[in-house]
Amino acid sequence: MAAMSAPSPIMEEEPLFPPVHAVHAKKSHKEPPPETSEAIFRRRMILLSFWAVAVFLGLPIWWKTTTVYRAQLPVGRMLEWGDGKVCKPTFPLRIAVEAPSLPVQESQHLIRTTQHALDDLNDFSAHHLRLLLSGPAQNASAVGATNSVPVSKITTPKDGESDKEDIALTIKLLLGESGTTPRSSLHPYKPTLDVYYSPNQIPSTSSTASPLANFIAAELQSLFNEEQATLAHLLASTASQPPQIKSISPEMADFLAKRKTRSFKYSPTYHLTFSLFTPTSTPSNWDIEGALETYLSPLLESLSSISNFTVDSQVQIYATLSPSISGPEFDEEKGVWTLKKEDLSGFVNAAEWPLSPSIGAGPTINFIIYVPSVEQSPLVIRENGGSSWLVPQWGGVQILNNPSTSTNTLSKEDLRPALQIFSTQLLSLLGLPSTPASLPLRLSTLSRIHSASLLFSASSTLGALARLTKTLPSIAIPDTVAHDVEMTMKYLQAACDGLKEGAFGKALENARNAEGSAERAFFERSMVGQVYFPDEHKVAVYLPLLGPVAVPLVMAVVKEFKLWRKSRRG
Amino acid sequence: MHFSLLLNSALILFSRLASASTSSYKEQLLLRPLPQNALLASFNFKSNSSSTSFEQQNFRYFPRSLGQILQHAHTKELHLRFSLGRWDAESWGARPWDGAREGGTGVELWAWVESENDEEANARWLTLTNALSGLFCASLNFIDATKTIRPVMTFEPEGIHPKGAMDKLQLLHGTLPHEVVCTENLTPFLKLLPCKGKAGISSLLDGHKLFDAAWQTMAIDIRPVCAADGECTLEIEHTVDMVLDIARSKRPRDNPIPRPLPIEQMECDTSKSYHGDDTCFPLHKSSEPAWSVSEVFGHPLKGSCTLSDTETTTESICVNVPSDRTIDVKGAFNISQSSHNNDNLRCFTLPTDGSDFDLSFPEQTLQAPTTLQKPNLYAARSITGYGQERGGIQAVVSNPSPTSAVSIVYLESLPWYMKPYLHTLRAVISPTNANNGHQNKSKSRSTEDNLNPVKETYYRPALDRHRGTHLELRLEIPASSTLILTYDFEKAVLRYTEYPPDANRGFDVAPAVIRLLSSRETEGGAPGMYLRTTSLLLPLPTPDFSMPYNVIILTSTVMALGM
Repeated sequence: MAAMSAPSPIMEEEPLFPPVHAVHAKKSHKEPPPETSEAIFRRRMILLSFWAVAVFLGLPIWWKTTTVYRAQLPVGRMLEWGDGKVCKPTFPLRIAVEAPSLPVQESQHLIRTTQHALDDLNDFSAHHLRLLLSGPAQNASAVGATNSVPVSKITTPKDGESDKEDIALTIKLLLGESGTTPRSSLHPYKPTLDVYYSPNQIPSTSSTASPLANFIAAELQSLFNEEQATLAHLLASTASQPPQIKSISPEMADFLAKRKTRSFKYSPTYHLTFSLFTPTSTPSNWDIEGALETYLSPLLESLSSISNFTVDSQVQIYATLSPSISGPEFDEEKGVWTLKKEDLSGFVNAAEWPLSPSIGAGPTINFIIYVPSVEQSPLVIRENGGSSWLVPQWGGVQILNNPSTSTNTLSKEDLRPALQIFSTQLLSLLGLPSTPASLPLRLSTLSRIHSASLLFSASSTLGALARLTKTLPSIAIPDTVAHDVEMTMKYLQAACDGLKEGAFGKALENARNAEGSAERAFFERSMVGQVYFPDEHKVAVYLPLLGPVAVPLVMAVVKEFKLWRKSRRG
Repeated sequence: MHFSLLLNSALILFSRLASASTSSYKEQLLLRPLPQNALLASFNFKSNSSSTSFEQQNFRYFPRSLGQILQHAHTKELHLRFSLGRWDAESWGARPWDGAREGGTGVELWAWVESENDEEANARWLTLTNALSGLFCASLNFIDATKTIRPVMTFEPEGIHPKGAMDKLQLLHGTLPHEVVCTENLTPFLKLLPCKGKAGISSLLDGHKLFDAAWQTMAIDIRPVCAADGECTLEIEHTVDMVLDIARSKRPRDNPIPRPLPIEQMECDTSKSYHGDDTCFPLHKSSEPAWSVSEVFGHPLKGSCTLSDTETTTESICVNVPSDRTIDVKGAFNISQSSHNNDNLRCFTLPTDGSDFDLSFPEQTLQAPTTLQKPNLYAARSITGYGQERGGIQAVVSNPSPTSAVSIVYLESLPWYMKPYLHTLRAVISPTNANNGHQNKSKSRSTEDNLNPVKETYYRPALDRHRGTHLELRLEIPASSTLILTYDFEKAVLRYTEYPPDANRGFDVAPAVIRLLSSRETEGGAPGMYLRTTSLLLPLPTPDFSMPYNVIILTSTVMALGM
């Protein structure tokens, strides 16, 4: 105001304004005329409307455009799954007992006593064996027997088909004519245990224990010992520790941990690649089609209940060893070329050998037959004289020395030992347990282990996703994620129920689906690719824009407030 | 003049016969000295597998990685080209393989993809380009919808597909003229060969020599060949053609900089008036230069790559020189030599024991210099006009044959930011001026000129940022005449982010593909005769990219001062 009333140079030059006026103005410090209430009201309305635009239009737009969409997630239930509070998996195995030569009463009593003996032996409550009486000859009575046998509460399956599938093992009680009794033998390609007994070993209906019952119980316990240990190890390794955990020896734990690091993660599909490598031009042909058909197809067929397999093969000649290894050395004593053990890890020349993974979902398992050149054969491993080894989570290698027949073509017979070793390696890479001797039993064990581990990993993925969304409030959550989470929990529940009912095939299927949708939810693209800024950063970005806008607005309010207070006082 | 024609057809026929067996591998190298100290080296590797073992994924000669890509993308026939340089038709004559095994500058890919509808074909084409991009370390994944066309007349399937299968196949074609072909593309290429460059003629392939060539092209062709009874084999053909400068290739690798010879060793033209002790005019030599395989390629051949169980060794290296040219064979003793076609083509069998093999040619003056087959067509294309808004394209195609007219298909695949005006398309026929002076003849031709040479047109206009222009013309060129094809186009203004980092360099426009329609009806499966022009560099209006930054900095400064 003072500056306005001061005489300006322009004013002095103006002839219309005499200097007298100027001097007069300087002297009097005349107040401007008081504002009319109308003007004050108008000014306040202007200020208010500016603020109204900023608050009611600007702020919502800003809020709307900068907020991220977060679909509703059932975080509490997800965390419960993640902590293992919802599902405590149990593994009730049904074991059918066939006793064609025994009367029903006696066999029922035998089963009862055996079940008691089993329950005494078992120290892992999550995994228990239940004996059922059945038999091809007594189908009608078996149904009645199932109800009458007071073994334990058996959840009756809905249909007979799955009932048959879910029988883990069949015990055949046979009258042993010769040899020591009781003795047992396990069929290698059928889930059947033959138990031979002599008639005097059948317990009388009054006795509560019998050597035969104890023998069967001990046999069953030893058959499922490794499975129990594996499941116990698996349960122990998850976050939630069930109190009734079976104690496993440190050696066993070590063995199981080793097997876990060696084997592939479960996948519904595996690609098998068989490759023939040779540093020279021969052999350049092999009868792989026939060999695979004869030696591998039966195994893959029996594995098909767990995973699907695709098979491909290739021949690569002029494949040199990697320069990073020291190369074969000649051993004068034995007259063989030897490879050092530490060279085995670098044996596969990943830079030059075309071992790219197959296209499509699922991991690729590589099996390599390496035929050394004539000058460098036989080629063996120095430490133990062996010629094959397993590369954990990758595949197997076999050095094929001295193929017997013609030099250019490897016959089916030449490939037989290699493919047999590859079969063993494949089972080991898939994480198949080493006992018992029966392959179907091991496969069903594997399916239970996979169901349990998939269940745990899907649950922990859910928990991790819930924690992630809680810790990162600015992360966007699309609707697809919410949908996938919902599906995961549905499948998880189904898998858990399947395990409890003993429907392991269904359980594996559901656990697989749960794992798939949990992974899809967790690795949702729009969530992964997000960039997060700390709040200070955001302030630093917004301030140059909002600061200049806010200063006049705020200052005007402050000034108006001061005027208002002054007018009230004065 | 005729022998190279015979040679080309002989090579093609030979390789077709060899493909009859179910699983075989064959390789062949042709060396042909060209005028001006150039040497054409044409490598061909051919292998096939039966379709049953391909479907069962038992790969022997067929590369596994490529086979799985084909199966995954449901691709039945595939042609992939990596090219660099320009074939100098004026001095080098007709193209090898009649141009059927070469591509335009950069990368060119066309394939027949099995699909039910267009969307599925596009999805599979996308899968294919992405997978091949990873396999060949090339930017093939940048072949998107704007660079993909579906040619209708230019390409015919080379393979013999099973009956009824063609209805479901769609042809897609994409080019990347900007792609620079280099060593990283050769390494995966060699890995696909059974002998991987360790033995046989592929041991001569070396990135230092291949990409130093005046012109080179690498091709992969995969096609099914089905017999009438439904038995199919899948053929894969790798071709590498290059034109080397002999003098340049002979430079030692440890001393690659060309230096003048000491004056005592120079051969001077003593007839010049200024010839003296310190001045020398180099003598123009009429004799053929001396060279050997190991000098030109850096190392000798390392034995043969014989894989077949039953077949005896084949002649895998052939030299196309006049019969009086001396050839010294060095290396192994067990070398057979045979001659074809009046001794102008001499072929050699490589030693099977893996020992080195070398051919050397001493300096020699020939009685009759090498005659070259004349090309059937010459073509050149250039951008005309000036300014930032409009331009024009002029393509000159001439038919040198004095007797027969030719029918061609001219294919342009233009980027969307180059918008042609089809109404400005003019095709003018004029007689080649280096003709005889018969007035009446040219008069009769002038009446012909009035006829429109464009017989058929296929045009699919561009959509901004969605697809490019696809123009196909079937043209008729009378004997010894030149066709001049012109049209105008408008240059689009791109968005700020659509410019490449080197925006002021200009944008590459894919070469035009010209296919010669032969008068005689060829049986299905024969590769046609092709010709490609060079790629063009199109300058687009380019903004000053530093302007937004200048504005931001200036306003920020003003704001900072104000506060």
